[in-house]
Formats: sequence, C-alpha cells, structure tokens
Amino acid sequence: MIDLNFVTVLYVGAIGLLVIGAVGLVMCNNVFRMVLALVLAEAGVNLLLILAGYRGDAAAPILGFGPEGAQMVDPVPQVLVLTAIVIGVGVQALAVAVLVRVFHAYGTLDMRELKAHFEFELAAEKTTEPPRSTEEPAGGRPLSPVPPRPHPGEARS
Amino acid sequence: MTNVILPVVLPLLAAFLLQPLARLSGVVARLLGPLVLLVGLVLLLRLWFAPDTEPFTVALGGFAPPLGIVFYVDQLALIFAIAVPLFTLLFWNWSADAYEDSQEKARQDALMLLLAASATGLALSGDLFNIYVFYELMAVASFGLVVLRGTGPAQIATVRYLLLSAFGSVLALVGIAILYTQTGTLNLAQLGQLAPTSLHGPAGLAAFGFMLVGFGVKAELFPVNTWVPEVYATAPARIAGLLAGLVSKLAVLVVVRLLVVVYQDTAASQLLLVLGTLTILFGEFAAWRSKDFPRMIGFSSIGQLGIVFIGFSIPGPWGMLAGLAVALHHLLIKSALFGLANRWSGSLESLAGGARSAPIAAGLFVLFALSLIGVPPLPGFWTKILVLTGLAQEGSGLHLMALGAILLITAIEANYLFRFATKLFSTSDRPPASHGLMDIGAAVLIGIALVAVTIQIDPVGDRLRAVARQAADREAYISTVFPAEPTIAAREDRR
Repeated sequence: MIDLNFVTVLYVGAIGLLVIGAVGLVMCNNVFRMVLALVLAEAGVNLLLILAGYRGDAAAPILGFGPEGAQMVDPVPQVLVLTAIVIGVGVQALAVAVLVRVFHAYGTLDMRELKAHFEFELAAEKTTEPPRSTEEPAGGRPLSPVPPRPHPGEARS
Repeated sequence: MTNVILPVVLPLLAAFLLQPLARLSGVVARLLGPLVLLVGLVLLLRLWFAPDTEPFTVALGGFAPPLGIVFYVDQLALIFAIAVPLFTLLFWNWSADAYEDSQEKARQDALMLLLAASATGLALSGDLFNIYVFYELMAVASFGLVVLRGTGPAQIATVRYLLLSAFGSVLALVGIAILYTQTGTLNLAQLGQLAPTSLHGPAGLAAFGFMLVGFGVKAELFPVNTWVPEVYATAPARIAGLLAGLVSKLAVLVVVRLLVVVYQDTAASQLLLVLGTLTILFGEFAAWRSKDFPRMIGFSSIGQLGIVFIGFSIPGPWGMLAGLAVALHHLLIKSALFGLANRWSGSLESLAGGARSAPIAAGLFVLFALSLIGVPPLPGFWTKILVLTGLAQEGSGLHLMALGAILLITAIEANYLFRFATKLFSTSDRPPASHGLMDIGAAVLIGIALVAVTIQIDPVGDRLRAVARQAADREAYISTVFPAEPTIAAREDRR
C-alpha cells in the first residue's frame, strides 16, 4: 500500500498542476486559455518549491513566532516563491495586455487563425509569395489551412 | 572592488528615473541612458585591464555566502559583462526623429537600460536565485522591446514568444526546485561542493535537463526555439540583433556555469551535445529554405548557437576555449548582420542588386559570410577548427557524429550565404534602398574589429586561452567563494 499522507498528496497535486499546465499550453488553441494554462503551471511549480522547504512539525520562519526554540521551516524557498509569484503576475499581466491589442486588431484569439494572419501579413510586408505549403519551417507544428481574411482593424497595421 | 555592482545598479536606477525625467527635460533624459552605460563600460574595462586577473567575489549587502548572495567576477564573466553595455550602446536608438514624442523615446530607453542591467547582473551572478531573477527581468524587458514597433504581426510574435519564454521559466524553476530538495542551497559554489554526493543520480540530471531547456529558450536551443524566426522577422532589427547576439550568449553563460561548477559528469555534457547537434541541423536546414533576409540570419543564428553548445559540451579547458571562441565570434558577426538587416528586411528576391546601391554593406556581408563559413584566415576558421579538433580528440561516437554534422552544415551554410551574395551582386532594375549612417556604422565598426582580430589572432588567442583555463577550473571557483580560512581581515582585503 502507498502511504498516502498529506505531503505526498500535495506533491502529487503540484506535479499534476504542472502537467495540466503543460498539456494545456500544447493542446489549447485559444490564446487566453494558454495564458490560463501557464498560470496553472506556475501555481504547480510554486507549490513544488514550497514543499521543498516544508516540515510538518516546524513553525513559520518568523522570529518570535511560535514556541521558543522550535524548529522553523526553510525560508529560502518561500522567498523564492514570493519572487516567482510577483514575476509571474507581471508576465501574465503583460501577456493579457498584448492579447487585448491582438484581439482589437484581429478580432480573434484562435492561435491557428492568428498564425495564418501572421504569415500572410509578413509575406505581404516582405513582398514574398504568401505561404501555401503546410510545412513551412517557421512554425513548429503543421497548421490547418485557414484562409487569411481581411481583419477589422486594418487601420492599425 | 564593490564598484563592480555599479554597472548593474546604475542602469536599473536610471531606467526608473527616465520617465519622470523626460517630463522635466527631454535633453537630459536623452543623454542619461548612454551616459550611464558608458560609466558602466569604463568601470568594467578598468577591471579587465587591471594587472591582477585573479577572480574575486563580492558579497552583496555584506552577507557572506552561502547565506548571502554573491557576484562572482572572473575573466569569463567580465567578457560578457563588458559586451553588454558595449552592444547596447551600438544598438542604441540614436535617431532623434524616430519618435516625435520624447515620452515614447524615454519608454524605449528605459527598457534598453533594464535589459542592460539585468544582462550584466546575469553575467556576474554566482547564485541561482539571482540568476533566476535577472533572467526573468531580461525576459520582460525583451518582451517590451519586441512589441514596441506595434504592428499586428509583431504583437502575435510577442504573444507566442512570451508564452514559450514564460513556460521555459517554469521549467527552469522546476529544475531549481529539484536542486534545492537535493542539496538545500542555491549558491553555485556550494552546489559544486555538494554535487559529487547529492546530485550524482537521476534527480540531479533531471534538474539539469529542466534548467537546460528552461534557460535554453533564450539560448535558442533546439526544441524551444520556434519563437526565433517570428520575433526576428517582426521586431526592429536593432532589437533582433541584441537578442541574437547578446541575450542568447548570457543564457548560454548560465548553462556553462552550471555545467562547469555543478555538473562535471559526462551524462550532462552528452545531453548538451545531442541537443546542440539537433539545434545546428534544425537551424541550418531552415536557414537554407528561408526566403527573407532577417529570417535567414535568424535561423543561421540558431545553427551557430548549436555549435556553441557543442563546443561547451567538450570537457575541460579545450571545450571552454572552443565554446567561448564560437560564442564571441557569433556575438560579433550576428550583431553586425542584424545591423545590415535594418534596411534589408525584405525577401531575398527583392534584395537583388543590393551591391549597386549599398556597396559597403554588400562588401561587409561577404566578409561576415566568409567568416561564418570558416574561411581562413578569418577568425571563424579558428573557432570552427577548435571545435572540430576538440570533438576529434574526444573521439566517441556521439562526438564524431557532431563533428560530421558541423562539416555538413558548413557546406549548407556556404550554399545559402553565397546564393544570397550572388543575388546581391547581380543586376536588377529595382535595387533596394541604401543604408542609413547609423545602421552601417555598427556593422563597419564590427567589420574593423573582425579584421583587427584576424591580424592579431595570436595575442587574442593567448588571452582567450587564459580566460578559458580560469573559467574551466572548478576547484578555483569553489575556493574563491569559500576561502579555506574565511577570516574577516582577508575578506576586507579582497574588497
């Protein structure tokens, strides 16, 4: 039998969150959902870091808090997680801010459509032929042939 | 020696002061950025030319390691730290009329200063905590710079770059978490002390894998470099030059420090070797197929970084020398090529006849192309021969495979670079526009530097060899951070 104590469950949860986030990033086509998947993955890794310094029988690492001479949990991972949370929030806010502008320009958040717009506009800008092949080296995965259509925010570009 | 902190702190401070200052006086705000970078450059150059080249540490805030956070200053760190303000100044937006609004200009300058500060910090850090924070700061500054042009494709490219980069950071953090559970420290030197006992197993290697892929996003490592062509094709050429030349090298430096100080076993360097080989194959074949100039040199940059990784995966001082030489060569060449790409942003077809309208640029392109391919006596030849002989000396199957891959991609490189060169020198009724003075200026300076290195190859090689010997010495790294008898007086003397 596996000893299902509290910490083990938390470890499983942390790694689970990471996996959900990674799968979401790969599988989702909506860019906003990809951002949310990223949030989940970051939550997972933060939990993992907290667990790295966790001891069930120890107090919070604050002087004068808890009984005299009691053991404290390791403060370094907690500081690292605080930093990581702040950085994560900043990056996510930046991502959403850019997303808002992308949505205003193209009226869609579907990654495949955005990729098609990207290729089409870039080809027009560089005066090359628009790509017809589905195996262009620029993208990682083959994309379904979405016909590039004129987007509402023409004036922006 | 605490003034080694100033090149990090001053640009940070200036970046935050710039916006309020721009409201008061546009001229002061315009001059502040270059001035601060220049001060940092002078301070670092004085350290580089100091007669005493022993590495030293600076304990930030006066807390001794391993509890405190240290800056580790050796010749390798200094090279890259000097490159940061130098190349930021080269790619600084000098034009006054590009943005009529001084606020807009201040915003861009602030981001450039943030990038410079975090990149310098990354070069000097001796602690994974600090490395993570500076890496993230550098990433955020680069997102801002890439999206600045504001066209639709640039925004889409930024979103994709941002998602990949943020996920890379998550992976790197997982690696750091595993390291911490195994050792209970984030100080690189202490990790090096504990590595033979606690990081020997699969957990330690997994941590390295996670960190390699995580930091590899910026270093254009194979599975996580899909952002490279998109961003380089849409971002301003100056920014693309900074990302390809400078930022990628600093991410490589992090990996190298981990490899030298913490992971001395062969499994880690074999992982690097395999990923590096895949990176060059992917990059060069894609460059061969690409149809516009920025994407061609973007993919070629991926290929070159693959050679850098292969070089660093060779153990000992030889590998360090080979990797360092390729990295510095690529830093020079790719920055200059992106300087040329500023006006040559169109498709390869539309650039036919470019030699007629821009003879200097076309001549420089040929010079850089010859050096990239590795035609003697240009420095590119020496860098490639160092990697090849290193691989041949190792002689295992994987090493010989990497050797074959490098020879193969050299032929491919020659093919697509010369294909473009002949196009440049062909006649056309619609030649492309000629270059502006600032664009060509950076490329000319780098071209002169390249020729100077070609002539002075012996002294440069000797200096690099000394740097590599120092950087590959793991015992020295640990004993510099933790002196055998850390008396207060000795530490005061060091400072």
